[in-house]
Amino acid sequence: MSLLQEEREIILGNEYVDTFDFAEVAEFVSNASKDLFVSHHFNTSDKMLVQPRGGFPTYKKQFALYEFFVDANVDVLPLTIDSNTRLNDYATAKKMLRLSEENEMDMLNGYPLVNHGYRTTRKMMTHFNKPVSLRHGTPDARLLIETAIAAGIFEIEGGPITYLLPYSKNFPLDKAFLYWKYVERVCANYSKLNEPINRESFGPLTATLVPPAITIVIQLLEMLLSLEEGVKSFSVSFSQTGSMNQDIVTGAVIKKLAKQYAEEIDCGDVAIHLVYHQWMGAFPTNKDFAEQLINMSTVIASMVGADKIITKTREEASGIPTKEANAKTVANTQYTLGILNGLPDIVDEQEEEILTLEVNAIMEAVFNDSADTLWRKVFNSIKNGIIDVPFSPHIINHNEMITIRDANKNIRIINKGNVPIPDGCYAYERGQCDLSKDTTSIVNDIIHDIGIMQ
Amino acid sequence: MKVVTGVVGNDIHVVANRLMELSLHARGYEVFNLGVNTYLEEFFDAIVETGAEVLLISSLNGEAEGWSREVRLLKAKYKNLDDLIMMIGGNLAVGSGNAEDIVPKYKNYGFDLVCHQVDLNSGLDLLEAFIRDRENKESKNQ
Repeated sequence: MSLLQEEREIILGNEYVDTFDFAEVAEFVSNASKDLFVSHHFNTSDKMLVQPRGGFPTYKKQFALYEFFVDANVDVLPLTIDSNTRLNDYATAKKMLRLSEENEMDMLNGYPLVNHGYRTTRKMMTHFNKPVSLRHGTPDARLLIETAIAAGIFEIEGGPITYLLPYSKNFPLDKAFLYWKYVERVCANYSKLNEPINRESFGPLTATLVPPAITIVIQLLEMLLSLEEGVKSFSVSFSQTGSMNQDIVTGAVIKKLAKQYAEEIDCGDVAIHLVYHQWMGAFPTNKDFAEQLINMSTVIASMVGADKIITKTREEASGIPTKEANAKTVANTQYTLGILNGLPDIVDEQEEEILTLEVNAIMEAVFNDSADTLWRKVFNSIKNGIIDVPFSPHIINHNEMITIRDANKNIRIINKGNVPIPDGCYAYERGQCDLSKDTTSIVNDIIHDIGIMQ
Repeated sequence: MKVVTGVVGNDIHVVANRLMELSLHARGYEVFNLGVNTYLEEFFDAIVETGAEVLLISSLNGEAEGWSREVRLLKAKYKNLDDLIMMIGGNLAVGSGNAEDIVPKYKNYGFDLVCHQVDLNSGLDLLEAFIRDRENKESKNQ
């Protein structure tokens, strides 16, 4: 028996799992409908796929949410997981699920997939026969991913960096890399049985003034870590920056470099997709304004040429959205996509060149680390600040990089910390900003720049 | 002057915490930032370890209320913290609350300075004024 299979049997021997039948699951994946695979839809559809967010504790409510989404002409269904499951606390999730079922009140902020189990959940997935994307935020997602694939969920979001640095203060990063290695291998193995399982990285990170160079580097590294293990379908992603031009430049550079770096490790055959997140920062409380913002995000996603868009709702500022509001965004976004025709092709060669130089310089520094494997190189690079994510709460993050917006609302690096931004690029970034101000005014500018959409 | 700061409890809201560190630094303080999700013991341990003169606790999700009740009790377990300047700021109540009710409550818990929904720079101006005031009193007493 392989080491991976031994580990799988330990993970799936968890007391909250109702006997995992490896052979039956493999057979289910082999014979599953192609419609359940988002990788299949990416290959066969020319339109941008629309995916909302959403997860409720009970089977009944999740089912009802999906009915609303299907009525609104959804392309990809979401399954958002509750926070207890994300922290592997299945006992609390179980208790809260029971309370939610008995009292008709939601005691969890998502669907506790492990507690529901794959046999039950698979019934829902095969009933709707739509591709489902797993949205979580779990550093150790081994059991969750096994359960998801067995249930017919064939897109897995996350990664060791993007699900840790924005969400955790002190979960050990080296452990996260190893736990995600397991996830990649399981996805790669199941991908041999039918259409490939799609892996998607979480590009928004902290969604707070993260410069495109950092976003792209982390997207490329998570892609490489995934491809190394044999994953055949991967989505890089980023969220609306606040400047349409910066979004278009970011989209162009990430598409170009993802292909290039994949080819460098002989993975040119892998299907790479681009996902765009509607504005992930603070939303306006005025719900009509929120709809305008969402609509603008959809237009920009089209300009960027995204393969999938992930939507927000008009209730973003006020908490977990109702299924009605959530479905409304899907319908609105589909409408906007349907009437957006004859988009101009905008190329900003100078900005693209600068961003490409920055990304390549950081990637080179990561590859030059003396460690023997890629994940260790990346780990060391985060530890020593070669990769620095603004506003990450994690203790390993350097927090030396400072970014603000220029006059056109592009995010610019005014203090690079230990990140190896080339001199010419750094001078250009700083040159776009008014640096004569004192720190107090800059802090006030940062506060304003974070909340530009409110 | 040395300052220990951080966000109390199970509160991951990091943005203001970072901006506070930047602003304190710009005003010439030596900053020891414990970051988000910090327990009371960790704050006092850090004060002892660094010899800081100011403790600046912040909270956004409002759970500071629950934690602050234990401040006096815990502080009494440490020696030589009588001169520590204690400040708390942010959103200091779960749901809505007004400053007239909240400020005296937190002063009772042992804080010298309480800023409920006060902007960052006004809060730090208050801290500076408090420090100046105290230095003046000390020089008069000598």
